[in-house]
Amino acid sequence: MESVISEGNLKKHVRFLKRHLALLPASKQSYDVNRLAIVFYAMATLSSLGEDVSHQYKENIAWIETNYIVRNTDVGKLSGFIGSASLNIPGTMTLSLPNTLFGLLTILILKDKQFIDKKIDRESLFHFVSQCQLRDTGSFVSVLDYHTNQPSPVDAHDLRFSYIAVAILYILGCRTESDFGKYVDVIKLVEYIQNQACDIGGFGTLGEPHAGYTSCALSALALLGKLDAIDPDHKEQTIQWILDRQVSNLGAMATNDISNEWYDENDHGGFQGRENKYADTCYAFWCLNSLKILEPNFTELCDTALVKSYLLDKTQDILTGGFMKNDEEDADIYHTCLGVATLRLIDGRFNGLLCIPDDVSFE
Amino acid sequence: MPFTFNINDYDNVEPLPLPLEDPSGPALCSIMYSDEYKEALGLLRRLLLLNELSVRAFNLSTHVIELAPAFYTAWNYRYRVVEHLVAEESKLVGDPSAPAVWLNRELDWLDEFTLSNPKNYQIWSYRQALIANLHPQPALARELPITQLMVDDDSKNYHVWAHRKWACAHFADWSHERRFALTYIQRDPYNNSAWAHRLATWSHDPWDSEDAFTAEFEWTKELIARVPQNVSSWQYLRGLCALHKWDQKLLQRCTQLCEQYNDESSYALEFYGYLCSRDDVNRGQDAVAAYEKLAETMDPIRSGLWRHKIELLRSKHN
Repeated sequence: MESVISEGNLKKHVRFLKRHLALLPASKQSYDVNRLAIVFYAMATLSSLGEDVSHQYKENIAWIETNYIVRNTDVGKLSGFIGSASLNIPGTMTLSLPNTLFGLLTILILKDKQFIDKKIDRESLFHFVSQCQLRDTGSFVSVLDYHTNQPSPVDAHDLRFSYIAVAILYILGCRTESDFGKYVDVIKLVEYIQNQACDIGGFGTLGEPHAGYTSCALSALALLGKLDAIDPDHKEQTIQWILDRQVSNLGAMATNDISNEWYDENDHGGFQGRENKYADTCYAFWCLNSLKILEPNFTELCDTALVKSYLLDKTQDILTGGFMKNDEEDADIYHTCLGVATLRLIDGRFNGLLCIPDDVSFE
Repeated sequence: MPFTFNINDYDNVEPLPLPLEDPSGPALCSIMYSDEYKEALGLLRRLLLLNELSVRAFNLSTHVIELAPAFYTAWNYRYRVVEHLVAEESKLVGDPSAPAVWLNRELDWLDEFTLSNPKNYQIWSYRQALIANLHPQPALARELPITQLMVDDDSKNYHVWAHRKWACAHFADWSHERRFALTYIQRDPYNNSAWAHRLATWSHDPWDSEDAFTAEFEWTKELIARVPQNVSSWQYLRGLCALHKWDQKLLQRCTQLCEQYNDESSYALEFYGYLCSRDDVNRGQDAVAAYEKLAETMDPIRSGLWRHKIELLRSKHN
């Protein structure tokens, strides 16, 4: 059993990640509109693994910057990132909130401070974020209508985009409620997040808690400085709900194996995203990030040594490099990012609220 | 013009080609686009620029969405094209049922697309926009078969269950849902989404008598008896009691039920600890004993949590 990534495996992970930043085959063209997501997952992970990406990828910074677009529209000047140059179409609004977060975080990881300070048109970027908020519910969509520049009528507006909106504002310097309040309706946003709280603990859509949405809700509240908006009883229930997601094969849990087809005793130590599901690498991050927000000394509440063994022994792909979702699928860049993030989070070296290593400076 | 993509329909469209990579510096994650993708994107980019709302634009959006299901602007464009064509058609034909025919055909296409792209995010919000904003005669009945097919295929698909709940709330009709959830709970008592769905039916459509509540309580007990170590059924029971409002009789019923299973189910024991630590039960010592037993033998992986709960109890009473 290992407790850290070995030198040999580290090299494989680095190769795996760098391959994703190079040329991708046509079979990946359905990811075209979210290419910046791949760039971010790879850069954040390489940086977490100790690679000097700001030096190695210095030449690529100019390309990343070309994904930042400023547009004059009938609702005023708007700016942000597009996921790919394919979406750069004159007169057509294609800015995306998630790609804006991925773009900004990548720029921070690459230490392109000058771009953040000088080249970004802050007011129009704030305006874009503001324009994505739904006036009636306080929640956010991720894109505007390509023609009217109003919130897209066909987009989802769940907790993911609330978190992303808040994270963008935070990166651009918002710290206090009045800072955020200049651009978004904080009261309605917090109400919306509170409405997603589930009676049993955690957050989710229409009553069923989900570890991913829980992390989004708690991270957004933490960045807003509004964790006190969580009812104290719900906070305790949420701590318990999160810890309950750690899969175990000890004690009464060992009796699960016979009739529950969604139980695998080899998942021991890993986290599931919902009740009675298999463990999955990414939920170790969503759960522990949530837990850390509610309880900074989270390693006293959770057996994190078991989480590490689950990741290193079960989902780390020691043949191809990278981390897998579980021990059955191929390694992929998303689970690699969150697997490595979890290991660093446990070691106290990760900024989980923004999903970047803690040595990335954003001040 | 038929509703199928035919490249000849775009003969007079000058493609707006995908941009060459920016000369400012080498790109990352460059994709070796297929010729088909380059051709489709070139046409789409031009039609978007012109904001052409036409049948051929509609057909092109089908083609692009099939190539790249996550292409959010293509979904957005498709919606605006449908909105426009439906309005035009009802004007031209003078037939008030024409929009419904259009929208139903679109929902049919979406059903097919959904079945082959079950994990796509965009399909559900697109569907909800069609139903809530465009369809002149939307119906819950239209939503039931597709969600059922999807749940049959992937019984814990969060988006499908969420859409089903959205549809019931939108049409304010939960009458099918208790039976629907029951089917999946009977098939697999570990299906947490099905349990959560059934609980949601009670908050929207509460029981009309104490007997109805008791019947549900007893049914839950039977499911617990089948597999006592099941977090979903215990959570359901607790949710049911919270909806009913706790009273002494109910507290006692639950305490007794837990006592039956405290030696074999960590969820029974946890529920027991919760009940004993409530002010209106006030059996702090029993709660502490339950949490100690969880920490030591029944659920040792979470010993940190159970110790934390003991601390909370002690600080409350000091």
